[in-house]
Amino acid sequence: MPVIVATAGLVWATLLLAGGGLVLLRARDDLQRIVALDLLVAVVISLLALLSYLRGVSWYLDAALALALLSFVATLAAARYVGAQGLPGPSDQGEPDGPVFTGEDDR
Amino acid sequence: MSVLRGVLGAVLLTLGLGLTTIGLYGVLRGRDVFSQLHAAGLATGPGVLIVLLASVATGRASIITHALLVFAFVLLTTPLSGHATARAAYRLRTRRGRVRDKAVIDEPDAPEG
Repeated sequence: MPVIVATAGLVWATLLLAGGGLVLLRARDDLQRIVALDLLVAVVISLLALLSYLRGVSWYLDAALALALLSFVATLAAARYVGAQGLPGPSDQGEPDGPVFTGEDDR
Repeated sequence: MSVLRGVLGAVLLTLGLGLTTIGLYGVLRGRDVFSQLHAAGLATGPGVLIVLLASVATGRASIITHALLVFAFVLLTTPLSGHATARAAYRLRTRRGRVRDKAVIDEPDAPEG
């Protein structure tokens, strides 16, 4: 790959990273922050791939793989945590207000 | 051959980064989590995949193999994390009663029959 193409891609991806930071700052609740962090991880994966193409070495892609794995697990955990807000816990004996999901389908 | 690879890499990189830009704009403009997830899942995910496909233009076997590994992983996990986030948003919104107030029958969690 020509150096000029990879460099232009790196500059573009860096601008996208700044835009992702803007999305993260504009988020109003937790789920929007989760979406923004997912987007940021996608941009960083692109950035690491471009760096790997530019320098001609492959170990930046290992870092990208590790980052993708971490982001996946973190998104799943955070989404489950946010989605379970307000559900009656095991120590919660009172009758909660509003519709209640029984948790039978909590897989 | 080298020129062809360079052109291919430039085209793929432009396509991928352009898709990511569109997805970023959609997430920036989206009003609620669902429209943001629409943009993030449909534009940003394929954008990253196309950027990873541009590794073909480097012509090095080690980079292409690693990029294909990351490609497969991102291909598998992007829909899963998007689905988990959308499910959390749906449950949160249903529990707050906004869906029920409009008398919309929209309950995938309800038992059938």
